[in-house]
Amino acid sequence: MEGLFVQLLVIGIKILVILGVVLGLGAYLTWVERKVAAHIQRRAGPMVVGWHGLLQPLADGLKLITKEDIFPRTGNRFLYNLALVLALVPAVLVFAVVPFGPEFEFFGVKVKPILTDVNVGLLLVFALGSMAVYAIALAGWASNSKYALIGSMRKAGIIVSYEVVITFAVMGPVILAGTLSTYEIVQQQINQKLWYIWLQPIAFVIYMFAMLAETGRVPFDVQEAEAELVTGFTVEYGGIKFGLFPLVEWYVEVLSLSAIAVVLFLGGWSPINIPFLGFVDPLFFLGPLSPFVWFVLKVALLFLFVLWLHWTLPRYRIDQITETAWKVMLPLTFVNLVLTAVLAPIVWR
Amino acid sequence: MIKKVFEKPLSWLERIFFIDFIRGLSVTIRHAFSKTITTHYPYEKLTPPKRFRGFFGHKVVDGTEPQPAFDEWVERFKVEVEPGKSRCVVCLLCKRACPVPQLFEIEGEKLPNGKRRVSVFNMNMLLCTFCGFCVDACPVDCLFQSDIHETASYSRKDSVLTLEVLERIGRDWQRRREKEPDRIWIDDAQRMRLWYENDLKLPEVKKQ
Repeated sequence: MEGLFVQLLVIGIKILVILGVVLGLGAYLTWVERKVAAHIQRRAGPMVVGWHGLLQPLADGLKLITKEDIFPRTGNRFLYNLALVLALVPAVLVFAVVPFGPEFEFFGVKVKPILTDVNVGLLLVFALGSMAVYAIALAGWASNSKYALIGSMRKAGIIVSYEVVITFAVMGPVILAGTLSTYEIVQQQINQKLWYIWLQPIAFVIYMFAMLAETGRVPFDVQEAEAELVTGFTVEYGGIKFGLFPLVEWYVEVLSLSAIAVVLFLGGWSPINIPFLGFVDPLFFLGPLSPFVWFVLKVALLFLFVLWLHWTLPRYRIDQITETAWKVMLPLTFVNLVLTAVLAPIVWR
Repeated sequence: MIKKVFEKPLSWLERIFFIDFIRGLSVTIRHAFSKTITTHYPYEKLTPPKRFRGFFGHKVVDGTEPQPAFDEWVERFKVEVEPGKSRCVVCLLCKRACPVPQLFEIEGEKLPNGKRRVSVFNMNMLLCTFCGFCVDACPVDCLFQSDIHETASYSRKDSVLTLEVLERIGRDWQRRREKEPDRIWIDDAQRMRLWYENDLKLPEVKKQ
């Protein structure tokens, strides 16, 4: 009985920590993005609210919350609100299977820093990832507006193509690790002394592209396309509802997919890897905190890389995007799969 | 020497390794770590160049009027010249040059000693396009455009420049920037070098 209570308490604390960190971080990443974008364009970005604009997300949030909530008269109110829930919930739910570090003991209780270590964790991630298409299709349909509908249809087209690609891209690491559990995949990488990026560079590049496409980042932001579609499917939303979509799409989803990329290809919480030889940890002085720092560091670097790409590249046309997915990336993932099958025995040993 | 006109299309090897992406990324990262070039506007302000076309003003009589034009106009219209007051001789040439003439409201008055002077000079800035034709037309170098560019106001009435405001802008201008050499922008030396040290020699016009 007591064991059950402790377990429930641990799970409750994990949920609170994950929700707080993810949503709070999501809000603060808007500030990061604005700063990065500004400096790439040789501007200074937000500077006024707080030190170097550090309180800007709070000000933005206050502004969005106090704004009038406008609803299009001919829209469908139920679906309109349902789309919000469908966008937010799966995106946050992905973090349930992201392992943040190795198992540790806290006052005699063994705690895995992962909410649920389900043995099909990776499957769950991509199942939830495909849920995003419902949110966007519903948002576009319920708004009853041309721009919103075109935007949501474009996004649906992209997600349908890239879900296939991303799923085949992660097959390589899954074969090498021999498991679908995210925690076990990292453990396997540590046991095999190998980050899977060394054997799966093609899969990694394709994963990165598919991640950009799924989260609607440049060069695949045709659903947003502010030059032609205003802001795509969010055009009829107002106030905090309008703020929530980019928050989910651009920050929470990018964060979750970066975390999954780190888990699959960059060895999760393990320090710098020399293939087949071992790990070098320049952060050894942090002691038991070092794995967590490594994980956060990798995710942060990946996120910054995505931002860097976003503010560098132009936008592809919708036909070019789907063409690349079906004609280039999908065959490449098949080639990668065959290569992995040949190489796998070396890793398994 | 062979001159490069276009970039060659990327080879398949360059495509595979995303050379074009890497080029673009290197450009943006270089800019990301260099100094920002913006002005933090309400806290820092740029001084516009002297030829900036901002709000209007009336230069006042201070002995630097263009001669002999000013004396001729004064004589023709019998204008009362008073130091420290507007140079305006109420010729209405500014209004005639203006594409939206109704923005000017100009009246003169006759003084008891038989001379005349300007009494009303209103410019409605809501109609103005800041084209500067009126400034070109002014024969006595009275009307001019200053460097005032923060022109927002809370009511329509505030955007009408009256004679007093125009004179005040003019006095301020003559104190601050009248003596400044007429140049185009702060990197003047650089521009001069570009203009005069190029190897294009135009035939000089012979003076008669």
